[in-house]
Amino acid sequence: MTGLPEGTRFAPPELAAAREKALAQLRELYSSWGYLPVEVPALEHHDASHPREAQAFKLTDKGSDVLALRSDFTPALAHLVASTYPSVAGGERQALRLRYAGTVWHAHHPELAGTREFTQVGIELVGVSNARADAEIIHLARESVRAVGLAPRIEVGNPAYVKALLDAADVPYEHQLALADAIDRKDRSDVLALIDALGLRGRVADAILQAPDLYGDEGVLDEARRLAPNAAAQSAVDRLEGVLTEFEDASELLLDLGLARRLSYYTGVTFRAFTLDYGQPLLGGGRYDGALLPYAAGFSLGLERLMGAVPQGAGEAGITPQVLTLDDPPARRLRAAGIAVARALASEPSAAEREALAARIPFLLVAGAVRSVGEGGAAGEARRLELQAILSGAQGDEA
Amino acid sequence: MSSTPLVLALPKGRVLDEAIGVLRSAGLDLTLSQDERALRHAGQHATVLVMRNADVPTYVELGVADAGVVGRDVLLEHGSRLYAPVDLGFAACRLSLIRQEGATGPIRRVASKYPRVTAEYLKRLASPAEVVELAGNVELACLSGLADAVVDVVQTGATLRANGLTEVDVIVESSARLVVNRAALKLKADVLRPLIGALRELSGR
Repeated sequence: MTGLPEGTRFAPPELAAAREKALAQLRELYSSWGYLPVEVPALEHHDASHPREAQAFKLTDKGSDVLALRSDFTPALAHLVASTYPSVAGGERQALRLRYAGTVWHAHHPELAGTREFTQVGIELVGVSNARADAEIIHLARESVRAVGLAPRIEVGNPAYVKALLDAADVPYEHQLALADAIDRKDRSDVLALIDALGLRGRVADAILQAPDLYGDEGVLDEARRLAPNAAAQSAVDRLEGVLTEFEDASELLLDLGLARRLSYYTGVTFRAFTLDYGQPLLGGGRYDGALLPYAAGFSLGLERLMGAVPQGAGEAGITPQVLTLDDPPARRLRAAGIAVARALASEPSAAEREALAARIPFLLVAGAVRSVGEGGAAGEARRLELQAILSGAQGDEA
Repeated sequence: MSSTPLVLALPKGRVLDEAIGVLRSAGLDLTLSQDERALRHAGQHATVLVMRNADVPTYVELGVADAGVVGRDVLLEHGSRLYAPVDLGFAACRLSLIRQEGATGPIRRVASKYPRVTAEYLKRLASPAEVVELAGNVELACLSGLADAVVDVVQTGATLRANGLTEVDVIVESSARLVVNRAALKLKADVLRPLIGALRELSGR
């Protein structure tokens, strides 16, 4: 076989370095908010009830057990919580803040231009369910987008609202799914057709018909409250309002009470992050109390997708070493100062200079002196003097 | 802030004129070049991309276009979950199961340009029939015996009658929809929200 399996790709140094940098920034962000790292196996028992079962990449274990490659971190984390913190998994209210990053595999990629192997990064806040916890997750989603240099816009909704409307309508489960789907697609004609077919009337029918258009600024909360046919719908609006009051600046949040995807999974506030001039969501998450754990909310982002939204060249990490050296002892000083120094593989200065030129390394270190390679201009000369100063110990000696 | 420029994906052919007409009536200032071969018409308020109707959902889903106009039949076949906030009413047609007049035998093979819709329909009926995808003139499959039935677009039924074919079942009623990218609806709400409102007024739905 030649080439790569469908939906997999190489990351050359420029790309891998940019990703590594983004990953480090995200880790640092989550760490600074008290999220602890966890790791879960990439190999799992195949489970027909797994939320992403349809996308499972299956393998046969020795014997005849069927295994699956990890397709989503959230269920794996729920498993980890169940075995490591059984009391939290049993319903004790104790906050656990967890973060993760790693590869997931999907055998099929229903999304256009999707890959089958990608890096999922995310956080979960387990053991608590309130507006402050919801807001913390949404805030960190917003900061994640900012961390890679993009301007975030976060769409926030509460599917509990649509769920309450459907419960009030008292329609059979399969029709609930069809209605929720039509509402989520904001397909007014489909919603109308289903309302007619189900014989819905009055206040509930009106609320269902208006639900797809409940998006925009905080004004939609009043409108949603006016339409709400029952206490459950009211409290879904109250919770969303409670989340908003946690934000000093809610201007980057776009409300949508018509969000109704995965109604049986998401039980509370859900959100997706977008950025201007990029037509795909960058990340998504929400509250899924009772789905995998009694109280839990979180989000995950596809690192490749997120990086795909960053304009090319904008986040480019400097991956070429700064200095090529023939001298090992002084090079240690530069490295200790955080400067990337590669060893010349040639053994004499003129050959080392050609080596530096070919590798586009701007400086050469020979006999304790830093030389410019090629045309560096005034900026190059200033940088050369900085490097020389580090060598001469102007920045202090280290052991 | 002046209004955000929009990118629109519109299907070439007859629907293009109707789509442009209704978008202009809704207050959108569209500039189209006189060159009939032009694929991209850049204007101050909107850029129009002209493409085959089956490609409209792809452009809108990936966000290359903010919004588009496409038949519900094409949207269902594409299987994407785009926002479809307005039924524009025109380009009305239906997807139907079609057989030769008087045919009563079992349906073992169904030909269609809509393999996804066809497969879902057969699954709903618990039919074991196989689906064959064809690129065009699907009725020929029925007449030539390639398939026992076809699933295709019916507008007036005149073509069917002329070929001795008959509509056995209507699967989906279709008409042109405004489709909107999920990010764009939120990020360009200043233009799209009023446009959706105006189009709903115009179509009376």
